[in-house]
Formats: sequence, C-alpha cells, structure tokens
Amino acid sequence: MTRSVWSRIDHLQPLLVGMLAVLGLMTIFSAHADWPRQVLWIALGVAAYCAAAAFDYTRLRRLAVALYAGMLLLLVAVHLVGRTALGARRWLSVGGFPLEPSELSKLLLVLVLAAYLSRLERLSWRALGGALLLVAPPAYLILTQPDLGTTIVFVAVLVGMLFLAGARPWQLGSLAAVALLALPLMPHLLHGYQRRRLEIFLNPAQDPLGAGYNLLQARIAVGAGGLFGQGWLHGLQGQLGFVPERATDFVFAIFAEEFGLLGCLVLLAIFGALMIRLLRSAAVAPDRFGELVVGGVFVMLFAQVVENVGMNIGVLPIAGIPLPLISYGGSATITTLAGLGVVQSVMLHRRFVSHREEMSGNRVVLLAD
Amino acid sequence: MVIVVAGLAVKLAQMQVSEGSALAGLARANTVHRIVLEAERGIIYDRHGSALVENSPVWTLEVVPAALPRDAISRAKELAQLARITGQPEDQLATSLAATDPYAPVHIGANLDEAHYLAINELLPQLTGASMTQHAIRTYADPLVFGHVLGYVGPLNDADVQRLRPLGYQPDEVVGKVGVEAGFEAQLRGTDGWADVEVDARGQIVRTVVTKPAVPGHAVYLSVDAVLQRGTAQSLAAGLQRDGKTAGASVVIDPRTGEVLAMVSLPGYDTNLFTRGISRADYAKLLADPDRPMLNRAIAGQYPPGSTFKMVTATAALQEGKITPQTLLGCPSYIDVGGWIYHNWASYNLGYMNVAKALALSCDTFFYQVAAMVGDVTLARYARAFGFGQAKDIEMPGVEAGLVPDRIWKEIQCGVPDLNSDACRWSLGDTLTFGIGQSYLLTTPLNQAVYVAALANQGEVLKPTLLHEVRDASGAVIETQHTQVAGKVPASTIALEAAREGMREEINLPYNMNYWFRAAGVPADGGGKTGTAQWGGSGLDLPTHAWFLFFAPYAASEIAMSVFVEGGGTAEVQAAPIGVDIMKFYNANQAAIRTQ
Repeated sequence: MTRSVWSRIDHLQPLLVGMLAVLGLMTIFSAHADWPRQVLWIALGVAAYCAAAAFDYTRLRRLAVALYAGMLLLLVAVHLVGRTALGARRWLSVGGFPLEPSELSKLLLVLVLAAYLSRLERLSWRALGGALLLVAPPAYLILTQPDLGTTIVFVAVLVGMLFLAGARPWQLGSLAAVALLALPLMPHLLHGYQRRRLEIFLNPAQDPLGAGYNLLQARIAVGAGGLFGQGWLHGLQGQLGFVPERATDFVFAIFAEEFGLLGCLVLLAIFGALMIRLLRSAAVAPDRFGELVVGGVFVMLFAQVVENVGMNIGVLPIAGIPLPLISYGGSATITTLAGLGVVQSVMLHRRFVSHREEMSGNRVVLLAD
Repeated sequence: MVIVVAGLAVKLAQMQVSEGSALAGLARANTVHRIVLEAERGIIYDRHGSALVENSPVWTLEVVPAALPRDAISRAKELAQLARITGQPEDQLATSLAATDPYAPVHIGANLDEAHYLAINELLPQLTGASMTQHAIRTYADPLVFGHVLGYVGPLNDADVQRLRPLGYQPDEVVGKVGVEAGFEAQLRGTDGWADVEVDARGQIVRTVVTKPAVPGHAVYLSVDAVLQRGTAQSLAAGLQRDGKTAGASVVIDPRTGEVLAMVSLPGYDTNLFTRGISRADYAKLLADPDRPMLNRAIAGQYPPGSTFKMVTATAALQEGKITPQTLLGCPSYIDVGGWIYHNWASYNLGYMNVAKALALSCDTFFYQVAAMVGDVTLARYARAFGFGQAKDIEMPGVEAGLVPDRIWKEIQCGVPDLNSDACRWSLGDTLTFGIGQSYLLTTPLNQAVYVAALANQGEVLKPTLLHEVRDASGAVIETQHTQVAGKVPASTIALEAAREGMREEINLPYNMNYWFRAAGVPADGGGKTGTAQWGGSGLDLPTHAWFLFFAPYAASEIAMSVFVEGGGTAEVQAAPIGVDIMKFYNANQAAIRTQ
C-alpha cells in the first residue's frame, strides 16, 4: 500500500485549527493584548506542529521515560527557580521568554500515560495503581505551584485515558469513591484563594468587588453579547477593562460579548468539529499507543474547552485554564499545536503499521479495542 | 461529548438571549456614567462693572471604590496613602468607601486649593481609582466692606432640599444663603449640564457619549457703587472708632430711583470662611461675639428712630390742619400731662417757634403738643405712609419691618388679661412719646433711608432696590432696574416743604450742626435730621442710639442717607459727623461715583 503523505494526513484538522487561531488572534487584538507576540507563538506552534507531525510517533514511546524525567525536572525547576506572578510560581525564564512547564506537562503526561497504558494487556488493579503513581508526583508539583486548573486537566486526562485503555466502569467508580473519601482532606491541599473561588462559584454575589468580581464581570460580558454580539472591538465590558484576565482565562467572555450567541455557537461548532476529527484519528490509529496518544490529546483539549467555557459562563468554578488556540499564551499555544502535530504524526505514520489499519478499516474501534 | 457541548450551548443561549438585556444593562451601568457639568455661578458686579466676587478653582479628591486595587495588600497601602493625604483616620476612610454603590465616586477631600491639587496630582498615577475634579468656589472681595450686601453661598440644608428639589437642585449644590447671593439666586444660578461618559475599570474617562452643556448663571450688576460703599464703610468705621463704638450701619440711596448706592453694617465678618465650610470654632466665635457681626443691621437691626421721626409728626399735623407752617407753639423744658412730666432735651425754655424751627432745634415739648393734637391713630397712618413698619421688598432675605404701634397693637401684644392695665391700654403719654419717635416705634437703617429719600423726593416712597441690571453670559442686558413708586405720602407740598425746611435749618444753625459741614468743607445744601433714641425702657440707663438722616442737594436731590450708631450717645456728636464725612467723600469722588 503506497499512499502519499497528502492522502494520509487529516486535511480538515489543520483547517479547523487555522480558523480557531484566527478567531483567537482577533479576540486577543480586541482584548488589547500583545497580539504580534501571539502571532510569534502561533508561528512557533506551527513549527512544533510540523516537527511533531514529521517525527515518527512510535519513537516517542521509547522516549517515554526520558519525557517523564524531563517533565519532573521542569516542574521541580519551577519550584526552585521559577518566577512568581499573581501569587503563583509557574514560570521559568528560558532565553528571556517565559515558559510555563505546567502547560507543557499536559502533553507530556498524555505521551507518558499512553506509553504506560499501551504496554498493558488488561487494566488490572495493579496497573491502575501504577498509573496513579505515575501521575501523582507531577500533579502534586503543579497543585502546589499553585495551579488548580492544570491539576484538573491532569485528572481529566488520567480518567479519560484510563477509560480509553479499557478501565471498567466499576474501576473508575471506585476511583471516584476514593477521591470522594479524600475530599475532606481537600481544604488542606487547596490554597485559601482556591477555596474561596469554590465558595464564590456557589454564590458569586456574596462579594461582588472581591473574589466574585471576575465571575460576575465575565457573566455580564457574556450576557451583554446577546444574540448577535456588540461587534468586534465594540464590547463595552471587555474594551474598558471590566473583564479581568481578558486575554487569557476570560478571553471567551470577550469573544461572547463581541460576537454574541451566534458567534459562540460557531466557535463551539468549530471546537466540536475538531473534537470529532480527533476521535476519527483515534479510530484509525494504527496501534494502541497511537490510539491512546490521540485519545489523550482529545481529552486534554476537550477538558480545557469545557472547563474554560464553563467557568466563563458560571457553570463551573474558576480555575486558570486557557481556551485552546484562543487564549493568549506561548506555552499553551505551542503545547496545543504540538499535541495536534503528534495526532497528525499518528495519521501520517500509518504505513509502517498499515496491516493493522487494514484489519480494522475505518470502523470506530475506540471502545472495542 | 455531544451532551456536554449541547449543555454549554443551552446555558449560553439562556444567558445571552433571555438574560441578555438585563446583563447588557449591567454592562452599561458599569461603563457609562452620567457626570454633572457644573454651571458657573454668575458674577456679582457693582453698578460700574467692577467684580465683587470671583469663582476660584478648587479641587475635590474622589475615589471609585470599585476601582480600588483588588488585592488586599495594595488596597491597604493605597488606603494608608489616601488617609495621609486627606488627614482622615484610615478606618473612617474605609467606612466611607464601603458605600452601597461601589461605582459611585466618594468624595474624600473637598475644597483643595491649587497647591494641594498639584501635590496630589503628582501621586495620582499610583492611586488607582482616585481622581480629582475641579469646581468653582466663591471668593468675595473685601468681605468686611461688602460682606453684608453680598452674603454668601453654602450647601443645602434639609429645609433647602425640601424647598429647592422641585427647582432641580442637587443635594450637593450650593445656594445663596444671605445677602444678594440669596436675593438673586434665580439669576445667579446657572443650569447644570451633564455628560454621559464611558469609564474604564479604573474609573478613568475614556470617551464622552452625549453632552448637554451647562448654561452659566447671569451676571448681576448691583446698584451699589463700590467706591461709595468703601467710602461709606471707611467713614462709618472711622466715626465708630473715634467714639469707641463698635456697631453701626449706613444706607445711601439715590432718591430719584430708589437704588441703594451703599449699604454698610459694622462690624462685618469674613464671608469667605463660609464658602469653604466654616470650622466649628470660627462659627462659635462669630455667634459668641457681643457685637453680633453676622447681623446685617442695615436691614435687620430694629431701633427706635428718636427725633428723626419728627418730620412724620410735623407732616401729619400740617396736613391734618392742626398747625400751619406759621403756627407758633412754645418749647418749654417740660410739659405736665395729668401729673406725668415729659421733658425736653433742654432744661430751659426755648420760647415760641414755628414747626421748621422746632425741627431744627428738635424741640421735644413742641412735638408732644403736636402729637397730642394729631392723635396716635393718625400718626401711625402717616408713619406707615412714609414706609415705617414695613419690611422693604429688597433683593435679600432677612429684611425686618420695624414697628409702628397704635392702640390696637398695644392691646393685642400686652399679654395681660386686664385690658385696662398700663400694659394694654394706650395712654396719652404713649401718643406724646410716639410723636418724638419713641414709645414702641422701631425702624431700620434701610427704612430710614427710604423715609429720608421720600422727604427729598416730594413724598414719593420708592421701592428700594439693589439691582442695576442683569446680563447673560454673552453680555446682553436681560433685565434692568425700573424705578417703582411704592406709595405717595398723602401730604401737600406745603406740608412737606415745611418739614424739609426744618431739616435745612437744622444743618444751617450756626454753632451747631453747621460746624461739621464747615469743618469738612461740605456745603450745607440739603436737609438733615439727627435723632438720639432712648431704648430699653425709661428705667434703664442705657446709652442712647444715634441717628442722622440727610439728603442733598436741597433742590433736585441726588443722594439720601441714613447713618446709625448703636449705643452712639448724642446724635449731633456721633452720627452727624459720619454723615458729613460720607457726603464729603461723595463730593470728592463725584467723577468716579456718577450714578447715572
């Protein structure tokens, strides 16, 4: 079977990614953020995308231990020499550019978990425990930065990938039960402000100027968008700085104010289409590792979109999570694009393991495998 | 996945469509604020256009609580800095900033002068949410001279708010409280404008959406002549000082028009203290001052007129046919009425004289006889015709009427059930002392000036006014003073002329009043009358008040004045020289004062 590179890759995926990047740039421009820099991030991200796509993903599996070690190293480095901003130590300065290892670690975790889970015949309790042990150290390092948002993404990726790896529902159920039992310990683990955010999420009006401010202003902005929006660059709330973190965590509120419900539905449709493309890619993945990597990228992005949009409209508590490809930020943008590049690599490198694809065809094998 | 995304979409639709307009309203309330554009208050000028007040710039420091730093440390730091700048305790500041509407600016420092403004302005970039707004504050020229005329403006009190709300006053506005600031409030106050502005999260104005410009108040040109006002104040102050007195008043009027050319009440006080918010200590000091500096004696000081009233008695007697200009009556040192002795000021008999001579010599016993002939009811009627007992309709609040007594008044006010008691029943003695301006009679320096102007003016009682003209902001005249005749004394020319003749003789008697005129080099061409008024009841040995009324020239008079010295002693010695001095000043500064 000699298919060309062109016929093997997913054509629609880069198109959807491009649409998201353009909408993201427009919104960032409107939010008075440093949009030329975001163009640079996207350019770097596209380079990472291409490199990741060209790189044979199967070799990543062999690099898993090194990737895991590198991830821990970065996260430890943050704790030791990281820069502090807004009360959290999250950034490393790399050649003058701020690098946020916790963003990078989302993708690294996907790769490491995929490598670990793909070697297992079946998901025994032991294997489950192994996965937990694998995730615990980086998750702890991130939670104590503190970065609740990324920790939530970690948990989502873990649960999602365990599910893809064939965990039984009762296995996940008992995991959830253990988590519930551990809940009383949470107040000790969470920082004061994180606890406060949870309380505010439950009752945003209790402190409209303090902790509830972000949520309230974002909700006002989203609501002010109405059906058709205030128009690009014409959102009052966003333009006048009432929406906090308007280029990053709350960029969706800016988008919603300016483009309205119709714009939001279009944006969600693009994300939805991208998600469907990822599921399709997972379905045609030539091996278990590839399938788990694509599935992991899917979970990583889906969790971030849902949490970010959810917190912007007040149905989920606030946690610092960017909206993939829309929010301003180098580490997040490059990580997202690199992750999507790895997905293309899985598509591109199918010929080396093509017999498997011929056996399964294009049928959706997500759950059956 | 589909369910989750659909859930988000439904929630979005609910927020943006069903709650959309409510949330959009909140967004507008967040971002669009209406600010008041203060109308500049009109300037008050004298009749020749010299400004008596200016609007000086002051600054208010205000803070939008919603725009303060949100993290606790920088917030506390900023509060500490604001507390230091404004000199307010920090906890008090925190309380006032915890207002109900976090987007409404809270004033934390008011009436800051330019030096303060410049100092704070430098710090402003570090003070998130703080801003300074400029407004105008009244600064009065020479408050000790003009203060009682101009009055002052002040913040609305509760009663004002009730009264002025329908006129569109805002609770933080100022309103004229006393003087012409109050009297011409309607003309001086402009109409505030407003602007809808977009502000950003820090409270900084980004853009103006709609503007309705403010309309400045009108300029009021007073009838007062600043030069003559200063001269009058100087003459009065010098006269008071000469005799160790502290309080007095003088009103100078143009007898042709009723325009008040000068109105002085001493002591004065610093009205500028009030515009910047007077301190408790300063206010207590003003209230405790025994000379009552805040009392405008020219309009609100009520005193018996004493002998200055005798022209009324004379006019009444002549007009009622009780005497003629030629009738001769005696001027003994006292008369005995049913066992009660009524004294003249002289302890010897001055002989027979006509009414003019009796006025010139101010013979009390002559006028006791005349008053008895006229009777109290008729006398009261003539007194009212000359404007006694009437609160003049002049452009400032607090004008007192004085009092014209008669038997009905006495019965009403006596407060004793027995109507035949001395406190209730009008006696002949009351009539006699009424005839020489005593008994219960009270008048004010303003009423006296109107009265002497009427004598200068063939009996025309004019409505006194402080208005010359009103101009709008572009300088166009929109209101001019019109002479209004309030009434005509029902007396013939012969009767009035006899009274006037008495006043001319008084200032021309050699060795008497004429001395002051000759000493000052002022021609005694006019008419004058002194009055030394007893007060506080006969049993008390209080110093008498001194009056001097004067008009000039005798024919075609152009100036009429009343001079009053509280506790002044003898009028010829205390009040008359002040009047002569004012006249001297007037003559010397004719060119500057020229009233028409």
